Amino acid sequence: MIRGLSWRHFDFWLLGAVVLATAFGVAMIRSAIAGNEELLLTVSRQTQFALIGLGVIFLIAAIDYKYWLALYRPMYLVMMILLIMIYISAQPQFGAARWFQVAGLFIQPTELAKIVIILILARYFEKTQNEPKDLRWLISSIVWVGGLTMWILLQPNLSNVIVIGVIWAMMVWQNGVQVRTIVILAFLAALIGLTAILIPEPYSPLEEYQRARVFTFLFPDPNASYGATYNVLQALVAIGSGGFWGQGYGHGTQTQLRFLKVRHTDFIFSAVSEEFGMIGGVVIVVVLVFIILRCLRAARLARDVSGSMIAYGVAVLIFFQGAVNIGVNVNLIPVSGLPLPFISYGGSGLLSLMLGIGLVESVVLRHRQLEF
Amino acid sequence: MRRQYAWRSYSLAILMAMIGLLVPVQIIRIQTSQDVDDLIAQGNRYAGYYHTYYPKRGEIYDRSGHLLAGNKTVFEIGVDLRNPYIDAHTIALTLSVHLGLDYNGLFENLENPKEGEYYIVIEDFVPATVADELEALKAKLEEEAEVNNESHLGTLTGLEFKEHLQRSYPEGSLASNVIGFVTLEGRGYFGVEEKYNNLLSGEPKTVWVPSDPNRALEIPNVQDGTTLILTIDRELQASVENILDNALYTYGAENGSILVMNPGNGEILAMASTPRMNLNEFWNYEAIYDNASEFNRPISMPYEPGSTLKILTAAAALDNGTVRPDTTFIDTGVYNASGATIRNWDEKAWGEQTITGCLQHSLNVCLAWIANEMGASSFYDYMQVFGLGHPTGVDLAGEAAGRLKIPGDADWYPVDLSTNAFGQGVSATPIQIMMAASSIANEGKMVTPHVLQAMVQNNQQYNSSPQNAGSPISAETAQTLSEMLAVALENESSMALLPGYRLAGKTGTAQIPNKNGYYEYGTTNASFIGWGPVDDPQFMVYVWLEKPSSSIWGSETAAPVFALVAQDTVIALNIPPDNIRRQISAGR
Repeated sequence: MIRGLSWRHFDFWLLGAVVLATAFGVAMIRSAIAGNEELLLTVSRQTQFALIGLGVIFLIAAIDYKYWLALYRPMYLVMMILLIMIYISAQPQFGAARWFQVAGLFIQPTELAKIVIILILARYFEKTQNEPKDLRWLISSIVWVGGLTMWILLQPNLSNVIVIGVIWAMMVWQNGVQVRTIVILAFLAALIGLTAILIPEPYSPLEEYQRARVFTFLFPDPNASYGATYNVLQALVAIGSGGFWGQGYGHGTQTQLRFLKVRHTDFIFSAVSEEFGMIGGVVIVVVLVFIILRCLRAARLARDVSGSMIAYGVAVLIFFQGAVNIGVNVNLIPVSGLPLPFISYGGSGLLSLMLGIGLVESVVLRHRQLEF
Repeated sequence: MRRQYAWRSYSLAILMAMIGLLVPVQIIRIQTSQDVDDLIAQGNRYAGYYHTYYPKRGEIYDRSGHLLAGNKTVFEIGVDLRNPYIDAHTIALTLSVHLGLDYNGLFENLENPKEGEYYIVIEDFVPATVADELEALKAKLEEEAEVNNESHLGTLTGLEFKEHLQRSYPEGSLASNVIGFVTLEGRGYFGVEEKYNNLLSGEPKTVWVPSDPNRALEIPNVQDGTTLILTIDRELQASVENILDNALYTYGAENGSILVMNPGNGEILAMASTPRMNLNEFWNYEAIYDNASEFNRPISMPYEPGSTLKILTAAAALDNGTVRPDTTFIDTGVYNASGATIRNWDEKAWGEQTITGCLQHSLNVCLAWIANEMGASSFYDYMQVFGLGHPTGVDLAGEAAGRLKIPGDADWYPVDLSTNAFGQGVSATPIQIMMAASSIANEGKMVTPHVLQAMVQNNQQYNSSPQNAGSPISAETAQTLSEMLAVALENESSMALLPGYRLAGKTGTAQIPNKNGYYEYGTTNASFIGWGPVDDPQFMVYVWLEKPSSSIWGSETAAPVFALVAQDTVIALNIPPDNIRRQISAGR
């Protein structure tokens, strides 16, 4: 598989954009955590993960993605065991249990699970490409996804469940689901969603903080203090005071003075907007859009449905996480804990995305079956 | 991709593009909204803060270098709410144990701070020992959390300790009336602390402190406040306070004051007043004192001094030649003065007396006659030059002026000349009478009383020089009157006498006028003013006992107290008995 592999079709534009985004992320994290001893190690950790991630891209690109699809059963099983383990025995921290601590590093299986689900769905849609796209076909795909997703939902980690849901929905759409089915499902989903929000504690399936977030976004209370709208307000102050060119690297007051909470993870976009202004924010959006476009290009070039779906899924993953994160930062949607792809601090997230990029490269490398 | 689904790809692409476009649109909306100025202002407000550096307050020493007022390190304990890892429970629990604060209130404040608040001061002026314990505990918990991620001990992260100085008074209540105190805001009240507040506190400097670690912080060069060295002698002050407290007990007096001054240069060696307070617990001030003039009676509380004032009448009459020491006067026991009848303290007639005898027996009739012989204008001229009715200018806060009515004042009546002559109808503070009397002990020259001996600024010492307050009488008059007063004490075998030393002095027993101006029977102010040694006065003492109950007479209460103070003073100042002193100076 590796022997005789031609790297002629390797997408260096994609790799370049990813490296650029990651390097910018590291620089921004360094500025965001300046002066905070507790977070001093994050810069070097992120750098280590980025370097490992680069290796992962080349390694995964070198391996034909078909091998992964063939291994879908053990992959699915191992992933499920990991998620169950995290559900049962992980340490509680920051209110939610999402990490495994391995050799001093926190590993988050949920991030990996998103890539695994993309592979599982890719295999499923390839296998069923000639079957009728009826309700049975749709429900089967839900069952495949649900087997892993339910453990994420139980953690509880609603944000990532939504991410997976969106990936699934986009893939289903792309594979020809009937519009009639969508309408029925959308109606059902809206009904369930509204009930979930409106049912009072303790019967609500939503955690209290999740309900609170939705409520603060929908009905902002002018007298609300600190906890609820604090982060959003501080993010607004950061973006608002950034101006066109920004206050300069290392000179954003909101960022440097730590008014902006989780500024090196969820709110890093606000930190960028403050220090690099609107230009900085737009550059990040442009780089991310470029990465997404290169992934979609891979999806178009792919030799088969599974390759196309892998590239497509990764594109949707990056798009949706990026859109949600930036949307939160600019106060378009309620606060949710999704990192900004490639930029935010988070080793597992970065590594999983690099893994996804590796798969995309693997797809693009083999877009012609025969090469003479 | 299969062609039949192309429209699905395009629809998705359009959706994504629209969402992507929303981002820059929203950024522009935020940056151009009406609130943008507010947002920027809010950002700038966080960019730094003004910090005022307060100089170390100057210290206060007694004349031999004993510390009377210093500074100690205390801590302000607060919580930085910007720290994301605050453990409200642990902080509230720890502080409730160590500082005795209310757990629930503290917890509530930490969990639900006021909007926009990012630093809460929990307790200020925490002693260094307590703060050190808390800091050690914080470090220990943080270490524990680092070693063991599942540590359930909690953390004090976010708790901050800010060191600063607080005034401390190692001698507690000693000379509290002279020193005064400093409140938590750093302002001096009463005594030296108020009078020299600006010198002691130095010049605070305010600088802008950027919170951005990348911007330079200007640390100003703040000079320490000026250190003061007082003329007070700690040992003498302590024994004088002790004598005063004992006297109040022995004679059943309500309050009292004792002043010891060097009449040659105006240096106040001791100044005792009751009640006194522990300056370290200045918050007890309101419980101890009803009004501010009680804090330092000898300078803040004018009273009708009675017979001690007779020495000023005598000095004036001798100086302008109205009488000589051997002028005789037939005392009939009554003197009719402008419609009022003046009587002696015992309401008896004393027959033929010299002026020395008049002073020795403290005859009101005789002194009223002298004043009338002098005439009002001459008498009041002298009294004004003596400084009655005006503050002496002693360098202590809260000095009162007393009241001397003079002809022409709406409430002056001719009878006042006769009564003022023996110290009624005129009010003065002990320090005023003392300054006036310093002219008698100091060859006719009055000195301004003061407590500041020197100040130290930038390691440079500046000594204060004695100030002349005028020369109301001639040196000859001063010497004559001193001799007369010394003889008078000796003839009377006064309880004020101190064996081995020749002293001059005068008792005073003054009835106390009530609020209607009538004198009440049985309550008096007992006073004594005296100095010595007569041929070379080195100390002058004023004793004032308010409402003594064992005896109403100054000669039986204030006079023996004077003797005790004189005894301790000659020991403290190392003054040998007269005969030895003469041998020394003769042998030289």
